[in-house]
Amino acid sequence: MTPPSKELLVQMKGIVKRFPGVVANDHVNFELRAGEVHGLLGENGAGKTTLMNVLYGILRPEEGEIYIQGKKVDIGSPREAIGLGIGMVHQHFKLVEPHTVLENILLGLKEPAFILNVKDAANKVLEISKRYELPVDPKARIWQLSMGERQRVEILKALYRGASILVLDEPTSVLTPPETRELFRFIAQMAAEGRSVVFITHKLDEVMAVSDRVTVLRAGRNVDTLQRKQLDKTKLASMMVGREVLFTLRRKPVIAGETVLDMRQVTVMGDKGFPAVKNVTLAIREGEIFGVAGIAGNGQRELTEAITGMRPIVSGEVRLCGNDIGRESISHRIEHGIAYIPEDRVGVAAPRGLTVAQDLVLRKYREKPFSNRVLLNPHEIGDNAERLIKDFNIMVSGKDALARTLSGGNLQKLILARELSGSPKLIVAAYPTRGLDVGATEYVRGLLLRQREAGAALLMVSEDLDEILSLSDRIAVMYGGEIVGTFSASEANIEQIGLMMGGSLRRP
Amino acid sequence: MRSLHLTFEPRLAISRAMTITVPVISLVLGFLSAAPLFLAVGVNPVLAYRQVLGVFLNVDGLTESLTRGIPLLLASVGLCLPFKMNFWNIGAEGQLFMGAFAATGMVFLLPESSAFVLLGSMMIAGFIFGGIWGLIPAYLKARLEVNEVLSTLMLNFVAILWVDYLVYGPWRDPKGFGFPLTPMFPPNARLPWIPGTRIHAGLVIGIICAGLVYVFLARTKWGYELNVTGESRLAAKYAGIDYLKLTLLVMFISGGLAGLAGMGLVSGIVLRLRHGISPGYGFSAIIIAWLARLNPLAAVPVSILFGGLLVAGDALQIGLGLAFATSLVFQALILLFVVGGEMLTRYKLALTWE
Repeated sequence: MTPPSKELLVQMKGIVKRFPGVVANDHVNFELRAGEVHGLLGENGAGKTTLMNVLYGILRPEEGEIYIQGKKVDIGSPREAIGLGIGMVHQHFKLVEPHTVLENILLGLKEPAFILNVKDAANKVLEISKRYELPVDPKARIWQLSMGERQRVEILKALYRGASILVLDEPTSVLTPPETRELFRFIAQMAAEGRSVVFITHKLDEVMAVSDRVTVLRAGRNVDTLQRKQLDKTKLASMMVGREVLFTLRRKPVIAGETVLDMRQVTVMGDKGFPAVKNVTLAIREGEIFGVAGIAGNGQRELTEAITGMRPIVSGEVRLCGNDIGRESISHRIEHGIAYIPEDRVGVAAPRGLTVAQDLVLRKYREKPFSNRVLLNPHEIGDNAERLIKDFNIMVSGKDALARTLSGGNLQKLILARELSGSPKLIVAAYPTRGLDVGATEYVRGLLLRQREAGAALLMVSEDLDEILSLSDRIAVMYGGEIVGTFSASEANIEQIGLMMGGSLRRP
Repeated sequence: MRSLHLTFEPRLAISRAMTITVPVISLVLGFLSAAPLFLAVGVNPVLAYRQVLGVFLNVDGLTESLTRGIPLLLASVGLCLPFKMNFWNIGAEGQLFMGAFAATGMVFLLPESSAFVLLGSMMIAGFIFGGIWGLIPAYLKARLEVNEVLSTLMLNFVAILWVDYLVYGPWRDPKGFGFPLTPMFPPNARLPWIPGTRIHAGLVIGIICAGLVYVFLARTKWGYELNVTGESRLAAKYAGIDYLKLTLLVMFISGGLAGLAGMGLVSGIVLRLRHGISPGYGFSAIIIAWLARLNPLAAVPVSILFGGLLVAGDALQIGLGLAFATSLVFQALILLFVVGGEMLTRYKLALTWE
């Protein structure tokens, strides 16, 4: 709780920032007091990151004023922001992967001007990391670190530069539950020292857990700023989305049918030439959602790619409805009913330079009626697009608009529209709601559940434990390329899953 | 710390007026920029401009531009395909030489057959050999990830030197006073031409091919696959597109069309194979394909205009006695401005101080 007497550190007044075609910030006001944890809540595209990028000197506002400790400032670059005591940890870390932790922390500093005393610098880093209980090895190279450790490096970087105002952009999206708890402890420590933290998120539970105050943005405008005691999940959600949101998904009971996917002792190589999936055995039946939990980078991507044919398997067997498909082509697997919602939407699932109509037949253009052996049928392709745009409520100016004009949520709808039409037997969905706002997430989850009721088998990878727990019939945890535990929905235990994700627990 | 930044921003909409005025202004600026060059070599720039513009104002100049445009057209239409999928085929020149070689080989093999049979087999052989020269880098890239820029570029020299070996060696005309060329082709190996000009049937073939490639790109499954692959190779894989098959198909057609260009040169213009049969048509075709924005129909006028530029270079040498190198510099200046103007049509320059 922040008594109003606390010193006003930052005031942003009437910030306007336009990008071609959108107003990302439309006269937004924001203030931050000393010792305060201020949640900045909003859907994707609400303008949260833009606002903080303005504060951090990455973007220049077209209008508006910024005051730091009552003094009007003009922040032209991150360097100037750092000079004012502002630090920012971006959602996508800005670290040089082949370099060490220490090198990354020192990178870009003006001092020392000439001779670098590595030992002193390392000691200073260790001192900070000890004080805030943020353990790192200054000599470790970034690529060796987990995402949680990388985040720690980013935080240390900001603290090393003397940040008294720390902006964290969606910090929990890469963390395990225990790591998230650690982060919240750190945030509380910062606030107790009189420093301030801006916590950008679209996750309601998190913002409620840590914030003294919450500012809600929607479509680039302020909705309201609430005190801690006013916080209420349903209220925040409707402020964020602009309408009522249902939090409980109705999972109808479905009796699982025949086995659709049957993987036996499958091993797959990762990009670096080490096995990324080790001896994985699993089976999914009709009408069943099989959730795969784990921290990104533990073999989930390679597992989905092995099923869909994007990555060859080294050993083992992959059977679809009894037929061995482990060495069949991708197009064969598409024809036999494997739908795939990959992690990378713009680069893989819906190329941005194609039109919406073209993207809507991406994995189906070979089939009738979209083409015969040689020629495409533009009429059928157009009709298909118009139908799917309507059925799936894709917001787009027309079927011939380029995919690049779609927002993240609409792009995902486009991908789902394509992959879920034509009654697939097996749906492999990687992070289906990542980066989507509350409304779109609700919609996507509903679609997946409907496929389950229609008798499809689903394998869903997600980093969002709530999502896995609320959708899955069975849950597996992946760690280090192995399935370290499986649960049925009724026996799932979030504590155990969290420990398994971190590698400190396994059970057969 | 503020500094001046120059950035390119893509234009959201390109007005019709711009697509006409920008090339015209670019050409005028290109001409003006060549004035110091002409002055330096002691020629009145106005006289030089008159020479160059004269090419486009008299019948001989125009027909010759069309003639020079034929190999450029065939090769550039072929290049539209691999470029669409981000396969950088720099090897049209070599593919053209292989086509010229194979067409000539057919003349040696079937000297007595009818013009119909002989010309037909020359075209097929030219296409196939040019195509094979395209298949090699395609296979190397799709199977072994060999960089196609290097492999296509280097295969040019293999093809050019192979033709040199033949015309300096086994295929040299015994009555040719030792010049590196084969004997003259018999009349049945000559493509039909318009009397009084050097325009030959290759022009019709080129325009037909441009139309076919246009349909291939816009209407067929493979055209769609090319589009997707050009967007992202991973997306193509996700769509189930077989990269090896597609690359082989596309490079066979691309090399084949360059091979046809080579066939047209030996059978329509030179009437024999000789050293340096192409002065770099295969390389110029790269620029043409891009200026035509990989649209094979647009490649038709662009190729003819480019042919005119080559003729203009000749006119400067013949009419004003300028050195070959001087006319090359002139051509390069014009191109530089046209390409620059093209860039400014698509992007706008933004100068910011921050």
